[in-house]
Amino acid sequence: MNLKEMKELLQLMSENGLTEIELEKDGLKIRLRKGVSGIEQTYVQDARPPASAPRPAEAAESREAARAAASAAKIATIKSPMVGTFYAAPAPDAPPFVQVGSSIEAGQVICIIEAMKLMNEIKSEVRGRVVEVLVNNGDPVEFGQPLFRVE
Amino acid sequence: MFSKILVANRGEIALRIIRACKEIGVRTVAVYSEPDANSPHVHLADEAVCIGGAAASQSYLNIPAIISAAEITDVDAIHPGYGFLAENAHFAEICQSCQIKFIGPSPHAIRQMGDKVAARETARKAGVPIVPGTSDPIKDKDEALKAAKKLKYPVIIKASAGGGGRGMRVCHNEVRLVSALMTAQHEAEAAFGNPAVYLEKYIEKPKHIEFQILADSHGHIIHLHERDCTIQRRHQKLVEEAPSPSVDWKLRKKMGDVAIKAARAVNYVNAGTIEFLLDTDGRFYFLEMNTRVQVEHGITELITGIDIVKEQIRIAAGEKLTVRKQDKVPLRGHALECRINAEDPAKDFAPCPGVIERYNSPGGPGVRLDSHVYSGYKVLPYYDSMIGKLMTHGRNRGEAISIMQRALDEFIVEPIKTTIPIHKEILKSPIFRRGQMYTDFIPRLIGEWGDKNADESALAPAEKER
Repeated sequence: MNLKEMKELLQLMSENGLTEIELEKDGLKIRLRKGVSGIEQTYVQDARPPASAPRPAEAAESREAARAAASAAKIATIKSPMVGTFYAAPAPDAPPFVQVGSSIEAGQVICIIEAMKLMNEIKSEVRGRVVEVLVNNGDPVEFGQPLFRVE
Repeated sequence: MFSKILVANRGEIALRIIRACKEIGVRTVAVYSEPDANSPHVHLADEAVCIGGAAASQSYLNIPAIISAAEITDVDAIHPGYGFLAENAHFAEICQSCQIKFIGPSPHAIRQMGDKVAARETARKAGVPIVPGTSDPIKDKDEALKAAKKLKYPVIIKASAGGGGRGMRVCHNEVRLVSALMTAQHEAEAAFGNPAVYLEKYIEKPKHIEFQILADSHGHIIHLHERDCTIQRRHQKLVEEAPSPSVDWKLRKKMGDVAIKAARAVNYVNAGTIEFLLDTDGRFYFLEMNTRVQVEHGITELITGIDIVKEQIRIAAGEKLTVRKQDKVPLRGHALECRINAEDPAKDFAPCPGVIERYNSPGGPGVRLDSHVYSGYKVLPYYDSMIGKLMTHGRNRGEAISIMQRALDEFIVEPIKTTIPIHKEILKSPIFRRGQMYTDFIPRLIGEWGDKNADESALAPAEKER
């Protein structure tokens, strides 16, 4: 098994929403398992007050909804890979990188996230058409926060 | 005083810091990894930012993510807790350059005391007695053999950049020293990114006594008496108590003065702990200094009435210590702490992650529980296995022990396995009750306890087959 084949396997897993895959080929056995993400932890909690800060629960729910929508209509959710400030355009007076309706390619820069005074160009991992922009220019974003929905 | 603090940690210590902040009117920001989204510290903080995936390197050790979170929430200060980035001088420097106050000592003090070889040298120069050993890292096996011969066996190999009991090897003879040297160097490289090791005389039957230090930026340094942390398993503390049953007021004054001398030698500011080894002849030696708040800080709070975390925040904000004179530091009664870990004592303390389905926490007079778990909480496999610290405080040692035994009987954490059963054994042990423990206490106890409680599945496969 070479790196290319491994990458194809990982791609296969991502596209089909698999968390674990085991393959035997030419006497080689390989098992790939995806790390746990916050979404899988939807267990019942007892009445410890999560009174304030509904944000984590909301984020988990919207991620769940996004997953459901994705499997239904082949919509991918692009999530933030880091903590920082979201910018829709390369400069304050410039036009945004993408908007609703824009066609994008894999590897295309779709936004900037500023972290520690560094402007990080965020590239799309998917190819398609932007159907929703979930954050506003200048919003603080956290790791895993949904940014765009792409068909 | 700060208006907003970011807590760069998780679990019970994050909760502890947020509680202190709430009580003094400071707003809090929690950071969390994805699997920690339902942790109490996330819900109790005023704001929460997800900083990364499960792995500590992507989240709680991810400096850019944490600093970025601090910037978007516009905090004045960061409290690093213990572990993770608490003793990372580089992180402390980055906070400084971003105009965020690091709640702890200066990067210089962290470096000075974080390098165990440099710390010993600093102590030695300040006239603090140290365990006899090498003053420079060991270069090769010939140097090791020569040094060991001079120190006389047994000796212990330790990691220069280390702590937490890792990278340590006790050697009783030359053969063992040669074989252990390379393994220790590899372990040090893997755990701390630095293979440098040094040798110390191994003190048999030692007691581990540490002194809590508080220092402000106005020149006041006091100690809050000692803690006895002799009960350890593989150099990880299991039960701690304050004060130590082996330290009388004369020894306390002597050791306390030396602890303050060591802290002054690095112009220490904020909370820290000086660790000593006390041998059976009443001689004590500087072991190392921890430049952070410690897991066991709570028992010192119980006997002195001084809130160490609040003092840390106040010191960082430029205020003077609440108690500034050594003779004004109270010592009331006796406190014990049992670290409750999600581990199976019957299976060599193997970690037991999983959902806590039935949970009943102890209460009543003299009981303090610092814990982040609850009924339905999922203990995660990615971080350390400690799920809570059970502390008791009584008028004297006997009362503290009986309250702890009563509290352990009430404590239900099921179905995962925890260290509660081993704590019950420790408290029943006559050696413990007499206060005559040395650092070999746990291996001896486990040997006896293990025979009584051996789980069938702990047997080797071949034996099971018979």
